[in-house]
Amino acid sequence: MSKNVEHVNEPEVTAENLKQFKGRSMAQETVRRLMKNKGAIVGMIFLICLVIIAVVSGFIFDYDTQIIGLNPTEIYAKPGLAHPFGCDNMGRDILARIMYGARYSLTIGIGSVLIGLCIGLILGSLAGFYGGFIDNLVMRANDILYSIPNIMIAVVVVSIFGTSVASLLLSLCVTAATSFARISRAAVMQVRGQEFVESAYAMGLPTWKVILRHIIPNCLSPIIVQVTLAVGNNIIAASSLSFLGVGIPVPIPEWGAMLSDGRTYIRSAPWMCVFPGLAIMVTVLALNLMGDGLRDALDPKLKK
Amino acid sequence: MSDNILEIKDLVVHFETEDGCVRAINGLNFAIGREKTLGLVGETGAGKTTTALSVLNLVPNPPGKIKSGTITLDGKDVLTMSDKELEEMRGNDVAMIFQDPMTALNPVMTVGDQIAESIELHQHITPKEAFEKAKEMLKMVGIAESRAYDYPHQFSGGMRQRVVVAIALACEPKLLLADEPTTALDVTIQAQVLDLMKDLIDRRHMSMLLITHDLGVVAEVCDDVAVMYAGKIVEIGSADEVFNSTRHPYTEGLFDSLPNLRERGEELIPIKGLMPDPMNLPEGCAFAPRCPYATEACTKQVPELRHVGGTHYVACDAYHDPNFCLRRNSNG
Repeated sequence: MSKNVEHVNEPEVTAENLKQFKGRSMAQETVRRLMKNKGAIVGMIFLICLVIIAVVSGFIFDYDTQIIGLNPTEIYAKPGLAHPFGCDNMGRDILARIMYGARYSLTIGIGSVLIGLCIGLILGSLAGFYGGFIDNLVMRANDILYSIPNIMIAVVVVSIFGTSVASLLLSLCVTAATSFARISRAAVMQVRGQEFVESAYAMGLPTWKVILRHIIPNCLSPIIVQVTLAVGNNIIAASSLSFLGVGIPVPIPEWGAMLSDGRTYIRSAPWMCVFPGLAIMVTVLALNLMGDGLRDALDPKLKK
Repeated sequence: MSDNILEIKDLVVHFETEDGCVRAINGLNFAIGREKTLGLVGETGAGKTTTALSVLNLVPNPPGKIKSGTITLDGKDVLTMSDKELEEMRGNDVAMIFQDPMTALNPVMTVGDQIAESIELHQHITPKEAFEKAKEMLKMVGIAESRAYDYPHQFSGGMRQRVVVAIALACEPKLLLADEPTTALDVTIQAQVLDLMKDLIDRRHMSMLLITHDLGVVAEVCDDVAVMYAGKIVEIGSADEVFNSTRHPYTEGLFDSLPNLRERGEELIPIKGLMPDPMNLPEGCAFAPRCPYATEACTKQVPELRHVGGTHYVACDAYHDPNFCLRRNSNG
């Protein structure tokens, strides 16, 4: 080694130093940084609880009697010890319905976003990477879908397939896919022209590896933030569709549908609206907190 | 096997854009001998980077298109290789160092992973072994092994360029294409990186194509020099020949626009005018409109490379006149 090289050598690395560096993968690093963000922790804890509730409620409640059954003696029961969130116009316990409803809201929110993400990310990155004809084809189709109001799409889907969780998923994932396609296309176009992509080619990597290993990881931070925001949005959208009557069929305790049911009784039994509304709000807030935290944690430029 | 690691013959590369055809490279000829370093000099837009990308068959297509010519790398024609052969060749036989170390590294991958990636790809070993090798490479370019777990933004410009050098040399390629490797670095770091590259190349018996517009760098590092103007070689020869018996008016212009250490008060003489628009190259010699020696004949006929002694060739028709001599040479 020439003289010029030696003097920039780092000071000798101690064993302790080395241990600190060793075996800290990207994922561990992300988790470590996520843990420093209090908002993200609160959001994450809430979401974990929600998932547990969603899973457990299937076992602790009897769907036919407690969730959709009629209990004439307890109609409009006020919130109290027996029913912390009160009861609705059919005498059903609102807490139980909200807990049970978490399954629907979470499945629909997360499911529609994941399906939309897969479709949108693939189409968007292809459009952004190859440009030209593929880009035009994908983005014009995207524009067409984008120009149709979401509710319109939902109404069409529902009138074809009937009201069910599946058709709600379908109509929501279309909207999610269009926005993911847009975001990933823009991000890919920005990254694709950078020198490290050229250098990856010069290294001999095949195109698919360049896209998967070098381009998409650099596009992830806007996408991840969009994912968490979109889950929140889709939970709200699913609730609004249920509120309008084109979402989930009636007796199923979806939060939006409960809100819609309670609307008529808002003066005499306000708890019928307040608690489902709060459930939606807190869940969306938790998702957004976690999204913000994830974005900060995933961005190596912010590493301290 | 031929003596040359790389031979480029009559290469023509055009970029066909909507506004017209950009003639980036118009009949390029040169060769690099084994274990030799060729400096490719020319101003911005002369087609130097396009030349390097052509060697890897990586000219962005569309709009770029290699129209004709052959590029022979170690006996094999690069332009007729299949995609698979190209992927095997890139990084393994030929590696490239890019100009700007700030953007040539993937910001979301640790530098160790980035070095290991190329090793893993070409040497078919496990990721773990590749990572160990990557650490050795880092050490070789003068960076502590423990920093393999760091991301590019945690390095300074000079250290990043060392990482880029490590990536390029990881698979021990036979030919290194260095595209202005020191342009983005400050002068003290430039010397360090150049020394490092020169040292590693010598030890590993590699050849190098060094693209630069810094004649000082060429003098320091290169065995041979090729001067490029508007997509063509205008003068080529050993460093000694080109520096000490300059033949082409353009090369003379390049030297005149450098400060002279011995006569510090002297004014710099820039080359008049601008590089011709590659969409609209002049007929005849492309340098004629800016050339102080140009005659009527220069604007009509495209000059061919002519032999002027040793390994020295120059593309200038003024040498039809046996008494023609550049001012630089006549003054001594």
